[in-house]
Amino acid sequence: MSQKTILIVDDDPDMRLGLHVRLKANQYNVIFAVDGMASIAQARKHLPDLIILDLGLPAGDGFSVLERLRANDSLSLIPVIVVSARELDANMDRALKAGAKAYLQKPVDNAELLKVIRRELGEPALPSKAVVHDLGSI
Amino acid sequence: MKEKALHVLLVEDNEGDARLLREMFRTEKVGSFELTHLLRMSEAMIHLRKGEVDVVLLDLGLPDAHGLDTVRQAHAVAPSVPLIVLTGLDDEALAAEAMKEGAQDYLIKGQIENRALPRALRHAIERHRMQTETDVIRTQQLQFKDDFLSHVSHELRSPLTAIYQFVTILQDRLAGELNLEQHDYLGIVLRNVNQLQSMINDLLEVTRVQAGKLAIELQCTAVSDAIAYTVDTLQGAATAKGVALTSDIDQRLPSVNADPTRIRQILIILVDNAVKFTPAGGAVKVQSGVFEEDPDFLLVEVSDTGCGITPEMTERIFEHLYQISDPGQAGRKGLGLGLYISKELVTRQGGKIWVSSEPEKGSHFFFTLPIFSLASWIGPMLTREKKPGDTIALFAVEIGSRDGWLSPDVRKEMSHLARRLLQQCLRPDTDVLLPNMDSVSVRDLFFAVVYTQEYGAEVIKTRIRRQFESCEQLRPADLTLTVSHSFLALVPSGKNQSMETFVERMAARLQEQIDAIRLQRSA
Repeated sequence: MSQKTILIVDDDPDMRLGLHVRLKANQYNVIFAVDGMASIAQARKHLPDLIILDLGLPAGDGFSVLERLRANDSLSLIPVIVVSARELDANMDRALKAGAKAYLQKPVDNAELLKVIRRELGEPALPSKAVVHDLGSI
Repeated sequence: MKEKALHVLLVEDNEGDARLLREMFRTEKVGSFELTHLLRMSEAMIHLRKGEVDVVLLDLGLPDAHGLDTVRQAHAVAPSVPLIVLTGLDDEALAAEAMKEGAQDYLIKGQIENRALPRALRHAIERHRMQTETDVIRTQQLQFKDDFLSHVSHELRSPLTAIYQFVTILQDRLAGELNLEQHDYLGIVLRNVNQLQSMINDLLEVTRVQAGKLAIELQCTAVSDAIAYTVDTLQGAATAKGVALTSDIDQRLPSVNADPTRIRQILIILVDNAVKFTPAGGAVKVQSGVFEEDPDFLLVEVSDTGCGITPEMTERIFEHLYQISDPGQAGRKGLGLGLYISKELVTRQGGKIWVSSEPEKGSHFFFTLPIFSLASWIGPMLTREKKPGDTIALFAVEIGSRDGWLSPDVRKEMSHLARRLLQQCLRPDTDVLLPNMDSVSVRDLFFAVVYTQEYGAEVIKTRIRRQFESCEQLRPADLTLTVSHSFLALVPSGKNQSMETFVERMAARLQEQIDAIRLQRSA
């Protein structure tokens, strides 16, 4: 089966690298964009299977990226998952209305992120595995 | 420099008293005071609204207003104008009450000296100005604190995210093998990351509580779901600590009128605390039942076999920033916000929270939530005056998606939107849109009770269709809409039947119909 491609749009290099390592380990092909403008260009060029989008971006924030994706026939069907540090109250409704499929708040639990990605890509859910990270006893 | 004249409004119906006061102003320098004398509260209100008055002298016994009401009325119209109350010799207690209602000072009729009056006026104005300034500064400071907290919390999230990402990358061995010691140390880092994250969340939550921005959406919901969710979420942490976490729930518990998300939040705080303060080998238990002292409420109890709380602490434990050391992590304290937040959440939903405890014997945390009652929702519309032959209609509105729901988030969003639209189709004074009934399978089924007859019901049906068809946001979701309705005759209550019994009976009949429709839809 061919690898699915995910476009990560985030201006924070640490965030991009962290997601890259995590997604690569889960057999996804990863490409990047660092601002709103570049995200549209990357999406046009590579037609990714899914986009992970930050909201606070230079050169066109996440909401305007969502609008432009939706207005473009060839890009409007790519599922977008918003991953942002911003408060859910004010931003989640707005992002979902603008066409995002899900809104996850940073820091996003790895298992949760992978679950949503698989769901949006139409891949079967992984058998749930009880991974508890914070149990190291002293 | 010429001093600006002070505009004094005298509201006094007793001509003798008024003349005496006018005389006192006459001895003052010309142009320093400008006096308007009115006899009634109604006139005074009109005059105050013009906004030209600097200070009010107010009699408490006017023909159209009396006692403290006079002060309240004046204060409501012109909160920024200082008030001095005029009172009789035997009424000093009333005058003191008036000060609590916002009056700046009081003068006792018959004891006012010539020079004292203008001085009292100027003092009242000055005091009022200072107080207003302090209030403004306080509000600004609170606003600044809220903005600051909210800003800092957001900015803290980004670096925290990076730490979390890379620690879990190392721990999951995505960057190479680890020895056992390294793996354990990363576990410690991660535990602290989680602690920091929950502190940030608490900070934001408190900011919201204090700014009155905490959103609570009441609906008919089962506490047992929230208990099961909480036990499930915290089971891992409890097991790892050697604490037995169990729940004992009667599946026939009545539903409550509360916000399911908020119930989960309260339970997570209480159970997480209980696990934290219970040593290995101990037990934490969650139970629920109808509150014996008040059967309109459901009681939820979280008990532990931990270190317990001293009587002094049981009083203070729900206070803002009250902290107790975490026994598992010597010297480590939380922010002291969890119980404060849960108290706010419980209170805002109409319940109470308290703790009973003995040191070394464990603690029992209790909270109550109002039991959902259909009768209390439809009561107001049924107590209106009825004509023979009046009916109410039960509307069932179901939203579906032709292509199946794309994602749970979108579905939730659509369900919210649909609720808002439906509300707009109903008359706010007579019709009731019932709160969401829980259970995921019927989340998109709404019920409304409408005071109407055959013709009116058709009008409402059309209105709902039009409203949904013209909604731009619902179109791309490719929604389907099913509206059905049935009538219930409002049988005139018998001679011996109280209004309460009548409402209860109607509620029971409605509930039967609702249950039947729900059963049919979820099948």
